[in-house]
Parts: sequence; C-alpha cells; structure tokens
Amino acid sequence: MSKKQRNISLAVFFGLIAALLVGIFLTNGAEKTESVQEAMRDTVLHEAARINLFGLSVNPAMISAFCVTGILLLAALLLRIFAVPKFKDRPGKLQLALEQGVGLFDGLARENGTRKTRFLSAYIFTAGAYIFFGTLFELLGFQAVSTAGASVSLPAPLADINGAIAMGVTSYSIILFGGLFAAGPRGAGRALKDISLPISMSFRLFGALLSGAIVTELVYYYFSLSFVIPVIVGVLFTLLHAVIQAYVLTMLTAHFYGESTEKHEKKKKTSA
Amino acid sequence: MNLPLNIDLQQILLHMLNFVILFGGLYFILYKPVKKFMDSRASRYAEKEAEAERKLRDAETAKEQYEEKLRNAEAEIDAMKADAAAKAESAAAAALKKAEADAEGIRKVARAEAEAEKTELLRRASREATGIAAAAAEKAVLGSAEEAFDSFLDNVGEGDGR
Repeated sequence: MSKKQRNISLAVFFGLIAALLVGIFLTNGAEKTESVQEAMRDTVLHEAARINLFGLSVNPAMISAFCVTGILLLAALLLRIFAVPKFKDRPGKLQLALEQGVGLFDGLARENGTRKTRFLSAYIFTAGAYIFFGTLFELLGFQAVSTAGASVSLPAPLADINGAIAMGVTSYSIILFGGLFAAGPRGAGRALKDISLPISMSFRLFGALLSGAIVTELVYYYFSLSFVIPVIVGVLFTLLHAVIQAYVLTMLTAHFYGESTEKHEKKKKTSA
Repeated sequence: MNLPLNIDLQQILLHMLNFVILFGGLYFILYKPVKKFMDSRASRYAEKEAEAERKLRDAETAKEQYEEKLRNAEAEIDAMKADAAAKAESAAAAALKKAEADAEGIRKVARAEAEAEKTELLRRASREATGIAAAAAEKAVLGSAEEAFDSFLDNVGEGDGR
C-alpha cells in the first residue's frame, strides 16, 4: 500500500466516523410521536394497526403469514421445477442444503417418533421452515396500509399471539391425533395428560419472539444511533430467534409425538 | 367474544388454514420428491453395500476352502513322502539281501575253486615228492650216498626256488 492510498483510506475512515457523529447529534432532538407505553402495547397487542383482508379486519401478522406461505410455496415450486430434476448422487451446494434441511427434520423425527415418522418429519419440516423464514421475514420490512391509512411494517407471523396459538394448537393436535391413530386411545390419553402443552407451546413461541421484538423496539426507541446499532441488534436477535424457536418447537413436537405414539407391549400374566 | 391479549378465534383459524395450505404444498412440492430421491439413493447404496458384503463373504469362504485344500495337500505330500521313503527302504533292503546272496555265491564258488586248487597242488606235490623220492632212491642205488644226498638237496633247492 502506497503512502497516498493509506492517506485516502484514513480520510475515508475518519470521514465516516464524523458523518456518523453528525447524524447522532442531529437525530438526538427528534420528538417521539408515541410514548414507550404505547409503542410496547402496539408491539404486543397490535390493537391499533389493523389491516383489511377481503373484508376481514386482521392483525398485520396475518398478512405476514400469508406472505411467508406464498414466498415459501413459490420457492418450493421453483426448486421443484429447476433443482430437483437435476439432483445427482454427489450433490451440489443447493442440493446439499435441501437434503440437509429434509434430513435434519427426518433425523429429529426418527430419533423421537417411534411410529409414523414420515408424517411427523414432514410436519416438523414445514413447521421449522415456517418459523425460521417467518421470523426472518420481519427483516425484509415490507409495509402494509392499515385501516386507519397509516403505514405498518409487517412483523413476523408468530409475533402475533393468534399466530403463536395457531402453531401451538396445531402441533398439539398433531400429537393428539398421531397418538390416537398410532397407539389407539392409550396414545390419545397420553397426549391428553399433557393438556397444558398447547398453551405452553403457544406462549413459548409468542414470548420468545415478542421478547426479541420488545428489545429491538426499546433499542429503536431510546437509542440515539437509530441507524447503526438497531440494525445489528435487530438482525442478530431475529436470526437467533429464528434458529432457536424453529428448533425448540420442532424438537418439542417430535418428542411429545414420540411419547404419544409409543406402543407399550401388554404385560404377560404370570401364574403364581 | 372479547378475549384478552387481542386473541381472536377467527384469526387463529386463519393462521391454521394458512399453515395447513403451507404443509400440503411443501409436502407435495418439495419434501416428498427430495425425500424420495434421498431414500432411493440410500436404498441403492444399501444394495451396493449388501452386494459388497456378500462378495466379501464369498471371497472369505473361497479363501477358507483354498486354505483347507492347502492343508490337505501338505498332508498328502507328507503321506506320499512317507510312502516313497518306505518303498525306497524296502528296495534298499531287497538290494542288500540280493547283494549278500550274490556275495555268498561268489564266496562258495571261490571256496570250491580254492579247494580244488589245493587238492591239485597237494596231488602235484605228492607226485613230485614221490618222483624225488624215487629219483633219490635211484641215485642212492646208483651213486654214493653223499652225492645222492647233495643231489637230493639240489633237487629240493630247485623245488623251493621254483
């Protein structure tokens, strides 16, 4: 590196720092349009921002859910048409990634589910993909127009309590009916024993995603450097939640499904 | 019905519908074909592995058979060696016996010949002694006794020097 190049690099570096400091001081005096209580309440309950969906007034997360489903199905269709027919015995990078995804959830199902693992692995594959990509969806920052005419950033589908409850109840239904079909009334009974499961699954999902959202919201609200730190915090938190929540829900579903579908052998009566 | 935390049953059902659509779509479009490919490849490799194991077992069996044959061949060679040694021994014994018999025959013939030669020599000596005695008697009769005696000695000396 020549002396001239070094001077240019240093000038760019210090210029960037100066620009950031100027930005910090200029944005410091910005007035808050809502109190932190209102911001938190809106983040948790989504009461203020409602969106019209074919005549139905829904939360923004509902729109996010349909968007995520559309994106995932479109991606799956493209992969099915262009990638899957070209699969080889020695996989390339894309094929390897797809096989890893399928193999990961299939392995998880086989480890825990004693019977009907094919259905379970397909279910947790879908649930894992939905939670992971759904959580990452909020990073895209898609906007929608609320019924009040305001612009709303679309959140993760599971950041809405209704989405989390739907996910938890669906998973519990899979466990319950999987147990019923695989192991009869005894299997269903084992699932019913854990009646608190749908609630715990739902609120675990909701709480985990919400905690990330709240932390990010607080950083957005209080931090002066609103165009550097929140980006890093938001991306890191979102990525972390995407991985952790996808793993936790699929692992729990596989575990409880395995318990409910397990078939116990009848004890032989021994004559005294 | 107003539920706390903005919980809405209609939206829960909408989320479920959305997820069911996603489940069906992902299963048929992506999961099933990928899984089918992975399973077919796994079964193909399992077949190849089974085939390789079968070939390995066959090779091991063949190796054991060859080793068994090798062990038998060594035993067979040992038996053949022992048989050949026994035969050689018996042939040597027969040859020795024959040689001894031949030697005995030769000895008998030699003994007979020596006996015959001895008899002949004795007969000849006896005849010569008889001749000498007759000549000496004739000399004694014809010449002096000393001359006769000298003559006798000379004749005897001639006889020994011969």
